[in-house]
Formats: sequence, structure tokens, C-alpha cells
Amino acid sequence: MDVVVMSANDWIGVFYSLVAFIGMVAVYFMVFRPANKDMFESQRSMALDDEGHINTGEKR
Amino acid sequence: MEATQAAPVKYDMEVVRWFTIAAAIYAVVGTLVGVWIASELAWPFLNFDIPYITFGRLRPLHTNAVIFAFGGCVLMATGFYMVQRTGATKLWSNGLAWFTFWGWNLIIVLAVITLPLGITQGKEYAELAWPIDIMIAVVWLSFGLNHIMTVAIRKTSHIYVSNWFTMGMIVMITYLHVVNSLAIPVSLTTSYSIYSGVQDAMIQWWWGHNAVGFFLTGGFLGIMYYFVPKQAGRPVFSYRLSVLHFWALTFGYVWLGAHHLQYTALPDWTGSLGAAVSLAMIIPSWGGAMNGMMTLSGAWDKLRTDYILRFLVVSLAFYAMSTFEGPVMSIKTVNALSHYTDWTIGHVHSGALGWVAMVSFGAIYHMVKKLWNTEMYSDNLVNVHFWLATIGTVVYIVAMWVSGIMQGLMWRDYDEYGALTHTFVESVSEMHPYYAMRVIGGIIFHLGTWIALYNIVMTVRQASGVRGINAVPAKA
Repeated sequence: MDVVVMSANDWIGVFYSLVAFIGMVAVYFMVFRPANKDMFESQRSMALDDEGHINTGEKR
Repeated sequence: MEATQAAPVKYDMEVVRWFTIAAAIYAVVGTLVGVWIASELAWPFLNFDIPYITFGRLRPLHTNAVIFAFGGCVLMATGFYMVQRTGATKLWSNGLAWFTFWGWNLIIVLAVITLPLGITQGKEYAELAWPIDIMIAVVWLSFGLNHIMTVAIRKTSHIYVSNWFTMGMIVMITYLHVVNSLAIPVSLTTSYSIYSGVQDAMIQWWWGHNAVGFFLTGGFLGIMYYFVPKQAGRPVFSYRLSVLHFWALTFGYVWLGAHHLQYTALPDWTGSLGAAVSLAMIIPSWGGAMNGMMTLSGAWDKLRTDYILRFLVVSLAFYAMSTFEGPVMSIKTVNALSHYTDWTIGHVHSGALGWVAMVSFGAIYHMVKKLWNTEMYSDNLVNVHFWLATIGTVVYIVAMWVSGIMQGLMWRDYDEYGALTHTFVESVSEMHPYYAMRVIGGIIFHLGTWIALYNIVMTVRQASGVRGINAVPAKA
């Protein structure tokens, strides 16, 4: 790789590639960290829990 | 903040009802146009030499109708529905939601008028004239602002994963639509893209594939993560996997567009990069599909009697299949055979009919029961629709697979002297039976949309009839 001839677009591409890579690594670490398991999995049934406060609004 | 359990929330669901009915109507219209143009390809006399109904003009009408009219109305209906229920709050602005509804439908009407007249920018999945592009940006932003602000005023501590998918779609589609549509207008109906040559091609497929990735995949995955657990009555199999699914899709999808341009003037490495990331995307895609299917653990028996759940589960099977097929087709060796053939059309409809339409109808049926607080007019008709949709999809994609692979093999075949064995016209002639078979598959699927519309209308009428006397409560 010839760094000297890299254009601004090339550097922008490198920057975003690194951001995406580091971001993905961070997400994997956060999601699979055992200490975070309960925090995430406690939301598993969130879609089911909304029945308790449901009122489907005005009906004609 | 914790979920408010004591005081019921009065949601803004009337606009959701209208979006839902509109989606059911556009499913009929969009697939009808699709059947017609498929028939024109099999029997070209059907354009009757009328310019307004030629394939070139009706094809973008079909794609706009099914993607943006049907798909868009489903996404907006479910987006507004899910964000209120999972946030335990009403919409940030009900008035703005109605602006979105009427604005989106005005855009659809303008598409119906302009595309048959031949008014187009010639950019695939972004054909509409520049003034309509501006309207799309404004109306889409009104949807986005309302959704994001409703998330902001939620009364629950957590933002459910479905809302993340919807917001990811909103942000990315705004960015993609604006950049792809940049053009210099020369009249009310004519404009020239600011891109040219290979840059134009790259921008086109950066938009084209990400419209698939964020509009037709991300948005509908949000639907899947809400409606599969709801209909199955089971929590999501793994919430951690759903979070990973969202971020992997968001980080990964934007790289894939170049795989549409293998063996073109685009630098070779960009196509290779697109194919490599496409293959990597199989992992989160299949992880998500498995996550949805495993949500049924302990509830598989429901598939015998719950026809709405069948739509949702079969959609996941098609999602898994098409997210495997796409990356395989992006590999250069396979792409050399598949590109420019009907295999691509088969792949697209495997995703569009099998995944998007099936998960949409599953969500629509679920919402209709909740929104009108009633049971379906006919569960048997839901079952009939399910089988018509499934059989129609399979007939369609098998026809295109066979036709496409045959095309590719005929085009690349040459004799001992290096001359092509077949003329192009010979390949066209050989495709005819499969084009007829595609029409049959399309008609079967299309009949299902009529049944869905009839069933939904009768359900609404049934609910209206008993309302005020003793409405039938829907099962949770």
C-alpha cells in the first residue's frame, strides 16, 4: 500500500472502515460479556408486556 | 423510567388503521401490475401498442407500488403501532402522522400518473421525477421525526429492538434517498443526475442494494422481532442475538452495493469487497432468522391452528434462504453465470414475496384483530391466503431459477471454434415456457391478496357492526 498517493477519499474510506470494525468489535464485546447477559435478556418479553397498558384508542 | 402499568394509555391508532387498509389495497394493485407485465413478457402483444402500458413504463410502476406503496404503508403502520405500544405512550404528533399518511399517498398517486406517461429519471427503484423526490424526502422525514420523538417521550426505560431497526431504516433511507437523488433540474419533469459514468453506477447500486438492506430487510426485521413473539405468545429466543443482528446489519449492509457491478468498469477490488462482506452477512442474517424461529420453542404446535403465525414463520424461512442465495450470487464465479439473467429476478422475488410480503401479511392480520378489537372474519380465508402466497411464491421463483440458469448456460456456451453456440434470440425463445409459468405463479399469489383484502374489509365491517353493543375481545 502506497500511503503517499492515497487521496482524501481513500483516507475517508480507511477512517470509516476502522470505525465500522472497531464499532463491531465493541458491540460483540458488549453483547457477549457475561455480566451484561441479564441486562439484555431481561428485555426478551418486552413485546409481550405491552398488553398490560393497552388501549387501542378511539374507535369509530 | 419504568413501564406504566396502572394507567392505560390512549394510543393514536386511527392513522395506523388507515395505513393498514391502504397497505392491503396496494398489495392488490401492485401485484396486479406485476402479473400484467409478466404476461407482457410472455405474450408481448398484450401491450396493444399503447405506450402507457408497455413493459418499460409499467415495470417501475409495479416496483414502486409493491415496495413503496405496499411496503411503505406496512412499515409506517407497524412503525407507529410498535413504537406506541412498546413505549407506552401515544404518538409525539398525531397531526404529523396524518400529514405522513396523506403525503405518502399523494406521492403514490403521482407515481401512478407520471410513470405510465414516461416521466422518469431512469434510476432503478428511484425513477420518480425530482419534485416528487423532494416530496418523498419531506414526508419520509415527517415519519422519521414523529417516530424518533415518540421514542424520546416513551414511558419505558428500554427502547425495544424493533424500534432500533425502524430508526436505523429511517436514518439510512434518508441518507440514501437524498444522495442518490441529487440532480440538476432543467424542467418540472426533467433533471440530470449529478453523477456520471461509473460513479453513477456505483451510487445507483449503493442506493439500490441498501434500499433492499434497510427498507426491505431492516424495517421488516423490526416487524419480525415484534410480531413473531406477539403472535407466538413467547419472548424473543435471545435478545442479545437481536441486538447483535441489528448492529451487524447496520454496519455491514452499506458495503454490499458493489457486488451488483461485478465485471464492469468499477475497480475490481470494490466488487470483491462487496462479495466478501456479503458472505460475512450470512452469519448475522441466519442468526436473526434462527432467533425468530427459535422464538417458537415450545409453541410449534400453534402452527397447526394459527394461520397468522404460519405467515410469520414461513417468511423467516424465505428470509434465511434469500440471505444465503444473495451472497452466493455475489461471488464472482457464480455471478459470471447469474448476472443479467432471470436468476436475479427469482432471487429478488424470493425475498419480496416470500420474506417481505409474508411477514407483512402476518403483521397486518395480527394488527387488524387488535386495532378493531375483533377476531378475523374468516380464519379459513387466512389459511387459503397463506397457501396461495406460499405456492405462488414457489412457482414463481422456481420458474425464474430454471429460466435464469438456462439463460446463463446458453449465453456462455461456445463450440470448438470459439463461436457462441446459441444466438440471443434462441435463449429468448427457450425462456417462454418459464415466463408463462411465472405468470401462473404471480396469478396464484395475486389471488391471495384479493382474499386478504376481502377478509380484512369484512373483519372491519363485522367489528363496526357489533361496536357499541358488545365488541368481541381479541385474544392477547
